[in-house]
Amino acid sequence: MNHLLRSRLLWVTAALVIVAAVLPWWLTAYILGVLTGAYYFGVFAMSWDLLFGFAGEVNFGPTFLIGLGAYTAAILDNAYGVPIPLCVLAGALAAVIGGVLLAMPALRLRGPYFGLVTLVAVLLLQNAVVIFAAVTGGEIGMTVPNVLSIDPRVNYWYALAFLVVSGIILYGLSRSAMGLILQASGQDATEAAALGFNVTKHKLAAFCISAFFSGIAGALLVMYMGAASVGTVIDIALGVQIIISAVLGGRRTILGAALGAVALICATEALRPLGQWNTFVVSALALAVIIFFPDGLLGHVLRAGERE
Amino acid sequence: MTTALQILVDGFAISAIYALAAVGFTLMFGVSGVLNLSHGGIMVIAAIIGWWAAGQLGLGTYGGTIVGILAGLAAAYLTYFVVVRPIQASRKIPREETEIFLLTGTLLWGIMIQVGMAALFSDNPVTIRPLIDGVVNVFGVRTPKNEIMIAAVCWIVIGLLWLLINRTRVGKSMLAASINPRGLTLLGFELSRIYFLVWSIYGTLAGIAGVLLASFLGVSTANAGQLTASAFSIVVLGGLGSVSGSLLAAFVVGYLETITAYLINPTLRPVPALLLLVLVVYLRPQGLLGRR
Amino acid sequence: MNGSKQTPARLARWIVPRAVALAAALSLTSAAAVPAPEPIKIGVIGEASSVAGASITAAAQMAADDINAHGGVNGRQIEVIVYDDHSSAADAVRAFQRAATEDKVSAVIGSYISEVALAIEPWSGRLKVPFITPGAASTDISKHVHDDYAQYKYTFHGWLTSAFIAQSICDFDKDTIVKDFHAKTTVIMSEDAAWTTPLDARYEDCLPKAGLKVLDHIRFNPDTTDFTPIFNKIEGEHPDIITTGISHVGVQPTVQWHDQRVPIAMDGQSSQATTSSFWKDTNGDAEGVITATAAAPGVAVTPFTNPFTEAYTKKNGVSPSYCGYTSYDDVHIIADAIKRAGSTDPDKMVDALEKTHYVGTIGTVEFYGRDDLYTHALKYGPGLVTGSFIQWQNGKQVTIWPRAIANGKISFPAAIKTPHS
Repeated sequence: MNHLLRSRLLWVTAALVIVAAVLPWWLTAYILGVLTGAYYFGVFAMSWDLLFGFAGEVNFGPTFLIGLGAYTAAILDNAYGVPIPLCVLAGALAAVIGGVLLAMPALRLRGPYFGLVTLVAVLLLQNAVVIFAAVTGGEIGMTVPNVLSIDPRVNYWYALAFLVVSGIILYGLSRSAMGLILQASGQDATEAAALGFNVTKHKLAAFCISAFFSGIAGALLVMYMGAASVGTVIDIALGVQIIISAVLGGRRTILGAALGAVALICATEALRPLGQWNTFVVSALALAVIIFFPDGLLGHVLRAGERE
Repeated sequence: MTTALQILVDGFAISAIYALAAVGFTLMFGVSGVLNLSHGGIMVIAAIIGWWAAGQLGLGTYGGTIVGILAGLAAAYLTYFVVVRPIQASRKIPREETEIFLLTGTLLWGIMIQVGMAALFSDNPVTIRPLIDGVVNVFGVRTPKNEIMIAAVCWIVIGLLWLLINRTRVGKSMLAASINPRGLTLLGFELSRIYFLVWSIYGTLAGIAGVLLASFLGVSTANAGQLTASAFSIVVLGGLGSVSGSLLAAFVVGYLETITAYLINPTLRPVPALLLLVLVVYLRPQGLLGRR
Repeated sequence: MNGSKQTPARLARWIVPRAVALAAALSLTSAAAVPAPEPIKIGVIGEASSVAGASITAAAQMAADDINAHGGVNGRQIEVIVYDDHSSAADAVRAFQRAATEDKVSAVIGSYISEVALAIEPWSGRLKVPFITPGAASTDISKHVHDDYAQYKYTFHGWLTSAFIAQSICDFDKDTIVKDFHAKTTVIMSEDAAWTTPLDARYEDCLPKAGLKVLDHIRFNPDTTDFTPIFNKIEGEHPDIITTGISHVGVQPTVQWHDQRVPIAMDGQSSQATTSSFWKDTNGDAEGVITATAAAPGVAVTPFTNPFTEAYTKKNGVSPSYCGYTSYDDVHIIADAIKRAGSTDPDKMVDALEKTHYVGTIGTVEFYGRDDLYTHALKYGPGLVTGSFIQWQNGKQVTIWPRAIANGKISFPAAIKTPHS
């Protein structure tokens, strides 16, 4: 039964990817731009879901990792003209290092304390960017001379490819032995430890992986937009949107997070004519979904399949 | 010398307001286990409705203040019935995940409040006229009388709260509920009544804090997130669930901020408190006065 | 619905042929009728939840209505499309891209926040859409046009650039505060933002020349809510007047200045104080505050000022903030340029805009040229645009300078101590 469901999921996902890949010939440059941003957002959300859905750790500051990746790449490109692939790699490395520094002491904490530390990390990074404004451009932000491409279609495909590859890796991890151990430790850490698994080591690994993908995605996002600022990559509101995307799409499904992210961005864009009220409406809808459909969009579909 | 006295007086007032905002937050967590991330939003509602009632509805400063506090209370009830209770009662959410959903739900609710209020009232800061106008000399420092009154009101309210919790039957049942809810039900207490009481107290505290902040510094919808983060940090610093811990932490943070603003640089105001918070969470995660 | 069971298929069979027939009929009739000329679309990006930002969109809509009532431009109606940028540069850029590529506007009027205008500026060049900012002040906006004309020529600066705002404040100080009140020293107090960096630089240069020694220069975080330490510090230095550069904040420092009975007057630029709702927001604590602005109720900077102020106030309940005046003028300026160019081609529009000589509500509008330092900035000077200065007195904005249009005299509340008194 499970096998059938998985392969149905596989076919549906493959179909979606193919449709997404041919969209550039139908859509305008502007809408492609919206979707490109949404795909990077999808990677943010998937990385978060790995950490939360599986390791059970609520990371309130995914933007700490994203911001580290983004700003490292931006500063390297701006100040030293380092070629883009190296900038992105450096960004990923910075995010992982930052993630480890944050996680190692933080994972010893239980409950809301971990969440608070992640939140404080974001605030500290924000303050650091503002204080070292000479290097980072401060609150106004900085522009990056080299971008991935100026062709919206090329940018779109880069983003889509990145989303698909990340999705495959992250999903694969979630279904692997490591993923199952993570899931066990997330649901009941004591029991997992009693069974002999090194819970902390696995959670740390999950954190590193989450940081790695967040860092790359952050760096690529900056290289796509050609600009980095506190408001776009280190905002707490952005972190909230990531959490909402993952919960909306369905926790512990990885793919649901990507779906939720795209849905959220598209909904916000579609409601743009409402002016001030679009954030309100989107938040209200998200609230309704998590109260009435806590399993999220994809989670609901999958659970329904399981109950058959 | 004057600077030191200025810091003393200024810090005292701001700490008192922080304390009032934080106490409600920690009480809510201690008794019903809810970390309400729309806390700042409720304070903002109280402040803006209070301003609106005082000026636009012509109720005057005292009338406006009372309406503002009632608005805070109403907002708290709304939060409970629309967001918290559905999540807590939901059968579709597994027990161990209720906390996450409450956090996300109240976060979303907070955003809705912020954006909704901004759409209705603009994001301009609003102020409530001082309840007592004029300045007075305190240790040689020219201080607005309103500032002294605010500090006094905060302490009186906190004192009343302490009396309620420790000296009345109703208060003791709240304390008991925070330690062992099931045990309390077995003894015949209605938990839902206790939760209702907690939300009532919480709403009143948040309402008073919001209105006083509007009178002292002014409040805008843009402050909602910052107010929540501030209360959250102070509460964790002091110890989640510990009222006296929150009081202590409020003064530590209030004075740290004031000293930084006066002696170092107003721009770096929030930084030392943040660093202290990080230190405490790593070295003593239960907070200054929290119980493990 | 009638009682019989209508399955979706039966319903479709009923509706579809009728819909097709209706569509065919409509298309025939519309093809037969003369098509109305396409409207000229102007995008307006504002911060809907801020008082100043809201006045940008409200004023722009009024201008469009006025122009359309008089026959439009070359027979075409003006259509204003409004975007809310939520005070975020990223959102504003998205809105601009949407306006340009999806909604196909001919021009964009946008924002009073310099950070936002600076973020939009390169996109006006990339997408070739003329862009005027009615309220942002940073000198970088026009400097970019000067430094890379080919790329940035589509951007115009619809309000005085920071350097000229500062100059006008120095000119005002020399003629009033120094001359009549014998002030000799000042402290500069400004928010840390893109528009105040050039403002403060000019202050430091021109204030001493106006007769005011600069004792200190305080820049604070725009998110500051507690101004007590700042006022205490300023008071400790005993200046005769405080020169402000504030826009993101306004209500809070003013209220706290009043509550603490700070005995020093404030003048300079306080953008929030330029709108009539400021008195209500501060519960009257604005008494005595002086600020530079574009225009104020009751004073005819030009014959067009008062009619606009009255109409706007009647419609919106508050007087326009400074960027409401400029936004109103900017729509007219764009329409005027399109009329003279005879087309909405971006390059032709830019040529026409550069030749603008338009009497608006704020004065006579002309833009600096390619060889001037601040290319496409508003020309400053008597006979063109100088801005005006108001002081809040008893709930009203009294214009106190330039003397030619002043309708009142400077008067400070009792708590303020000036050298004269």
